[in-house]
Formats: sequence, C-alpha cells, structure tokens
Amino acid sequence: MSTEKLKEIILKVLPDVDTVIGWQEGFDKIHITPFFMKSPEDAEKAVWNSLCVQNLAAYLPSLKKKTAVIVKGCDSRTIVQYMQEGLIDRSNVVIIGIPCTGVVSVKKVLKAVDYQPIEDVKFSDEKIIIKTSKGEKTLAIADVCPDKCKTCQYPTPIVYDHLAGDPIESTKPAESVYEDIKEFEKKSLEERRDYFKNEFDKCIRCYACRNACPMCVCQDSCIAETRDPHWITQKLSSEEKMMFHMIHAVHLAGRCVECGECERVCPMDIPVAKLKKKINSEMKELFDYVPGVNPEDKPPMYTFNVEEAKIKEHKL
Amino acid sequence: MADTGFLPKEKLKDFLEALSKDAVVYAPALEGDIVLFKEYSQGKDLYLDRPANLGPKSIIYPQCETLLSFDFKKNDPEDPKKVDIELKTESNFANTVVFGCRPCDAKGLVIYDKVFIDTDTADPYYKERRDKTTIISFACEAPFAGCFCTAVGGGPADTTGSDVLMTDVGDGFFFEALTEKGKAVLKSVPMQDGASYKEKAQKIKSEAEKKIRNPFPKDATEKLSQKLFDSDEFWEKVVSKCISCGACTYLCPTCYCFNITDEKTKDKGERIRTWDACMFNHFTLETSGHNPRPSKLKRFRNRVGHKFLYYPEKYNGVIACCGCGRCIRYCPASVDISEIVGYLKDPKQK
Amino acid sequence: MALNQNPYMPEMATVTRIIEETPNIKSFQVVFNDKEKMKAFKFQPGQVGQLSVFGVGESTFVINTPPTRMEYLQFSVMKAGEVTSALHNLYEGDQIGVRAPLGNYFPFDRMKGKNILFVGGGIGMAPLRTLILYMLDNREDYKDITIIYGARTPPDLCYKEDIKEWESRKDVNLILTVDAQFPGWEKRVGFVPTVLKEVAPKPDNTVAITCGPPIMIKFVLEGLAELKFPDDQIVTTLEKRMKCGIGLCGRCNIGHKYVCKDGPVFTLRELKELPDEA
Repeated sequence: MSTEKLKEIILKVLPDVDTVIGWQEGFDKIHITPFFMKSPEDAEKAVWNSLCVQNLAAYLPSLKKKTAVIVKGCDSRTIVQYMQEGLIDRSNVVIIGIPCTGVVSVKKVLKAVDYQPIEDVKFSDEKIIIKTSKGEKTLAIADVCPDKCKTCQYPTPIVYDHLAGDPIESTKPAESVYEDIKEFEKKSLEERRDYFKNEFDKCIRCYACRNACPMCVCQDSCIAETRDPHWITQKLSSEEKMMFHMIHAVHLAGRCVECGECERVCPMDIPVAKLKKKINSEMKELFDYVPGVNPEDKPPMYTFNVEEAKIKEHKL
Repeated sequence: MADTGFLPKEKLKDFLEALSKDAVVYAPALEGDIVLFKEYSQGKDLYLDRPANLGPKSIIYPQCETLLSFDFKKNDPEDPKKVDIELKTESNFANTVVFGCRPCDAKGLVIYDKVFIDTDTADPYYKERRDKTTIISFACEAPFAGCFCTAVGGGPADTTGSDVLMTDVGDGFFFEALTEKGKAVLKSVPMQDGASYKEKAQKIKSEAEKKIRNPFPKDATEKLSQKLFDSDEFWEKVVSKCISCGACTYLCPTCYCFNITDEKTKDKGERIRTWDACMFNHFTLETSGHNPRPSKLKRFRNRVGHKFLYYPEKYNGVIACCGCGRCIRYCPASVDISEIVGYLKDPKQK
Repeated sequence: MALNQNPYMPEMATVTRIIEETPNIKSFQVVFNDKEKMKAFKFQPGQVGQLSVFGVGESTFVINTPPTRMEYLQFSVMKAGEVTSALHNLYEGDQIGVRAPLGNYFPFDRMKGKNILFVGGGIGMAPLRTLILYMLDNREDYKDITIIYGARTPPDLCYKEDIKEWESRKDVNLILTVDAQFPGWEKRVGFVPTVLKEVAPKPDNTVAITCGPPIMIKFVLEGLAELKFPDDQIVTTLEKRMKCGIGLCGRCNIGHKYVCKDGPVFTLRELKELPDEA
C-alpha cells in the first residue's frame, strides 16, 4: 500500500467532508502525529507507514461535522464498537481503511537504539532502519511491533467506505490472542498483586490512558475526579491509583477494542492494557463475545436476559 | 577545597554514599524501561544516560502533600452536637540532595521560586523543601529528542537553579560549586583538584550547546503575535489532535498548577494539595456549569499563554519553559509546543 | 498575610447567626474564636474570604459587611455545589475556617465626590452590599446613590432588612425589579438590563458598579455602553473557580491576572485588555 494511493483517496473524499483525519510527520523522524486535513495542500503532507500508530477513530465522537478518518484494521474495531453503542452517526463518517501488516512500537525502537535522538528512519521489506549519531541500526518490524500486532486477527479494517490497498488475511492463530494473559495467570496471586502494585505505583494520574481510550465515554465526568460520588481521593497511594485503573478496566468489560492506546500513551510505561485484556478474555469465555467486530452486536453488559443466549457461566 | 573538583567514575558512588550520611539523596535510576528519581541507598545503581521521564520536581513540590490535618473533637459532654475542630500542620522534611538532574530541571525550580517564594504570600511548604535541598545537576553532552533549551534562554550546561554542575569529562566527572550549598556538598568527599579539567569541561559544554536545535524560524521575533494567539482558527489547526490529558503538564518542570481537596473519615481529616492540570476540563469548571475555558483549544492557548506571555508579563520577561522537551517526547499525540510557539513568533510561515 | 504566616491556614471561627435570605441563599455571620484577631482584623470593601467546612472543602465568598461595621463578618452563600451545600447544613454555633481578607477591593477612594450607580442581580448583590453600606456610613463623601436590584421573583431578593431601610431613606434611590409578574408585587417587572435602560442614569460624574450572573453582566455592560458610560467608570467584580486564593494554584487567571489576587474587582477597561475568558 502506497502513500500515493492513500492521497488519491483523501483528495477524492475531501470535498464531501469537513476534515480528513490522517497522519503526518511529527517533531522527529520516528514520531508520526495525527493530522486534521482540510485542504488538498494538507493532503500532500499525509503519510502512511508503520509509524502511524495512533488510533484516529478515537477523535470521532467529539466531532460534530462530517469527518473522514483513516483507520487500520485494529482501529476499525473502535468504529464498529461506536456503531454498536450509538456513539457516532455512521452517515456522518467516511471511513478510509488501510490493510496493515503491523506497526512499530516507538518505545521499543527507542530502547533498541539506547534512546539516542533519531536522525533518520527508512523502511525496507518488513524492516525499519534507524539512523542515530551512533550509526545505523536495522530492526525487524516483527521484533519491535506492539504486542497487539503479534496476534492481530484483523489486518484489514472490518468496516470501510474506501480501502487503500488489497485486503490481507490474518496469519495469526485466533487462540494466540489471550496467550499472554494465560501465561501471566500462571503466576501466584501474590506475585500478580505485587506486579500490579509496583506498576501502578509509577502512575502519575495524568489520565493519558483514559483520554486516549476510544471507549472511555465519561471523559470529563470521570469518577477519578468527581466529588459526587466521591469514590476516589486525589491522594497518590497505590490503592487510589489501582482503584482508578480497576474502574477503568471494569467500565470497559465487553467494550475494550484492544487498540492498546492506553498502554502506548502511558508516559510511565505501565502495562495498563493487561487488566482490560484479562476482562475481555473473560467476556469471550463467558459470552463468546469479541468487542468491535460486528456492528449488529450488542455489548453483553448492555443487555440483560434471564436466559443469555451465549452465556457459559455454568461451566465456570 | 576549591570550588571545583574531579572524581574518577568509579568513585562516584563513594560521593553519593558520603552525601547520604547527612541527607536524603535522590538520584536517577532505571525502573523497568523508564528513569525516575529514587532515594539512593548503598550499592544502588545509578542511571545517568538520559534525563528522567519525570524530573525531580516531585521531590521539592510533591504531587500530593498534606497542607493541614484536622481532628473533630466532642469536648463537651453536655452538648454532644458541639464539635470542636483542631487544626495541625506538620513539617518533617529532611535535608535533601537531588543528584543528577539536568540543567533544565534545575531551571524549572527557579521558575517555581518566583511563584511560591517571591510573593507576599509565600508557600511555606515549598519554601522549606527548597531551602533544605541541594541540587547537583549533570550537564548534557548532546540533546535528546524534543530538547530545545537554548531557544528559551537555557542551555545544556546552564547553571540557573543548580548548586553544583557536574560534567562528564571522559574518565571522570568535573564538579563546579555554584553556591555556598554547593561548596558544602563538594567537601563531603575528598576530591582531586579539578582545575586541570576546567578547560576540557568548558569545551564539552560549548560543543553541546551547538548541538541543541532551535525550533524557532530564522525570522522569529522576540514577541509572539497577539493576533495569531487570539485566533481560534490557529489553535484549532495546531491542537485538534490534543487529547486533553495531563501528561505534558505533570511531566513539565515548570508547570505548578494545583488542586486543594479535603478528605475525611469519621473523626479526622486532612486538606491535601495535589498537582492539577490546566488541560483538564474540570480545572476551571464552575459549580454553575459555566466554564471560562470550555474547549481544549482555549485550555491549550492558556497553557502556551501562561508559559510564554502571562508569566513573562509578571516576571520581567522570564519565559516559564525550560525547553526540556518532555511535553513533546511523551505527548500521546506528539503535539509540539516549540512548533506552535515558532508559528506565533513568525506568523507568516503558518 | 494579615492572619498567619501560613497562607493556607484558616482562622477558626464561629457561625453566630444564620439568616435565610431566599429559598436558596443563606447569610452567615461569623466571628473569629480569637477575640484579639477579630479586633485586629482589617479589610476593605470588596475583598473576599475562603470559608472552610473541614472535610468538605473551601469556597470563596465576598465579605458583605463593610469595614465600618466590625461586630461580625457576613458571607452570603447560594446553595449550588459541595461546599455551599455543607455550609447550608450548618447550625448557629458551628465552627468553620476563614481565610481572609483576600484579593483587591473597590476603588472607593476614587469614587469620592461622584454619583454612584449600583446594578445588581440575585446573589450578585452581596459584593455591592458591602460598598453600599460603606458609602452610607460615609454618606457625605458621595453624591447621588442609585441602586437597581433585580431577582427572579420577590422571594429571591436578598437583604430584605436592608431594602426596607434603603427604601425609607431619602438619600438613596432604590429601584427593585423582578423578572416576571408575581402576586402581590407592585413594583417594576423586567430584566435588570432592561430596567437600567428605562431608568437611563446619566454618565456624567458617575461610577457604575455591577455584579450578577454572567449573562446579566454582559447585557448590563452593553446597556451602560449605550448610556455612554466610559469603560473606566464601570466596575465589576468577578467570580471564578478558586482554590488557593493567593494567586498560586493557577485556575482563576484571565491572561496574566489572577482573579483571586489581582481581582476580583476590575474596571471594564482592565477587562477589555485581557483574553475573553471571564
């Protein structure tokens, strides 16, 4: 898939929409930044490569005017979930899908080059070549991709109006999705508690995870800050932080589309997606439900039936 | 003992251990893949290869602190409804050394000093910690992603706010005491005479300075364009991608906005002060529902305004930004404040 | 600081009297527990205080008694959020904290020898009350005093005792109005800005002081402009979400001015030089 093809599509849809949300080069060569395009001149600056990590669909509910958005397969699940929950007006959104074989975790790349400022970045078949003042380093994208790409089931967007490239089939076994969770659960209860306590201790309550989360719909009325109800104080103890992260996770039960944005944006590198993934694995187990896959679905926690069609609670 | 000194690299830990005899020492350490200031204890590993994700601001201006605590007391058995309230404040901050922060981090503290100390209503909590803390900064040899300290009046070896400046001169560290406090800490361990390293350190520092990028355009003016600053269209263009989180402000060495809230249990409680962020909607939300800065555009404008217009207006032209680049590096959407200020300094390129 | 070295430390005080002004506004008369401090307390009309209900929080209110009447400090509180609700639940004799005085004050010296026009709405009458009482206590320093005061309904008018006194005085021109017809109400009906235009006070040698809900202030300012009041003869007092009250916490700023410390009193001319974030 070439950036040229993407630009063609952007130019085609621009006249019908207020904005096309895509990506452009950021403050350095490794950081790509979201780009709100309004004009054909803007479209010229659009880019697409494995550094286009942000889930742009997350901006949609806050926009009133008709908007086109560029989505990868994983990002498209956000839109499907929005459709399920009535959070967007589908007729007000133009979806430009991009088949994607995997993006790059900027954090992993920076670590691989000892956090040296990056002078240049090049791509060559499934590899990323990073130039720093210390020389060039070639990394296989598979080695520096976010965890979500390793088990990606939806390389091609689930919904789209335009597809910039040929559809790709997933090559990753479906059972692999929750393998990391199963692995983690082999640890003892104490080990897991200590692990999370240690991780959440680093939390500075900046709420980047919450604000980047496409499904965090409470936003400005979040329980983390309200005084009525007053469930969480502003104190910095790991209990308070854990409480916030647990509420965040539970709020996403059967809604988390596993885009990984919460974890990607965390300036303290806390694996905040783990809790959410665990709950999703339970939802899959109990209700045979995967969020953000079928626009006709209803999230299981949105409904209550005496005889839940797919519930397997008796097997627990 | 002169005002300078030299220590071979293997002796650095001896220095820290000597310092920790009389003070609590905080030094950068690796926590997983991030760098944080941690209390130094014997044998602990230091990490000086890159600036900490969160600088030392939380040591002198903690993210959460108790301003006062109160006890509800029923002293009158005749009148069980009558509640007396006893207020208490506590201060037990020990002498502290911050070791290995960067010059930009130290400069940030000077920005705080003007707000918290140089006022008729000085903040006694901040002042006590500031007075009891000695800052040993580590000069940068090269910039890190997003750095632009020289463009905002600082530099990779700027001495503002530091008590000691330390420079890596290859086989060891060259120390310069900048204040009386600095001189005192250099005495805590026998050092070699630093005089012969002075020139080398100076060369490293001036080389470093040349490597820092200037994000502002060539035709940039000192003053920001008020017209562009007032334009909603401009802010929409540059900050639509902002997700209104607090990462930039919490990591910022010069951001100091705070909240005060009360917490209580049955018979006691406390009034706490916690960091707050002007990027949050609730920050200025009034009980009536009215919000003077209701959109992220207005809030972002206020953040840039505070650093580059309002603070300088109040404090003799000093910019409340130290160019550390953290807000750029760690922004979920890679919003670049230096780019935005660049447009404001030279509107024609926008 | 007038009270204490620690600007966050409130002075303990006792609520001596609670007056139910309207269905949702109560006035609290407060004296410091430390009698010496009460005696030594100095402030100027328009300055504010932070009231603490310990365990709930602090909130800012103007001291609406004038410095010429120091038996107690009075604060009027409209029930709206957490702290104001907690204040409304207090009884006479209860303990609260007070941090005062904070902020600037009305330029009453510069108003000497002038006609004074007060335009207030609802709870916005509180800061005006301070200055009105101060001026009445120094009546010879000021020329004509006109007060236009409006509320939604007659029961929503605050300071009913004061109103009675002002109505009876010959040296005060009091004009009351309510938003809509109300059984038994025989005075004016209409929004404050409309009544202002009907009354049409002359701007010559006159200072206008206004406070009320933001929307009322907006239209009053327009009305005063139509009546040719110059910007520096129009004074208003602002309300903002505040925490520290001493210009540090960063939330009440409009540009480089902090409403808690540089305000709350501003002339319209000063406001026009700041960003439109009131």
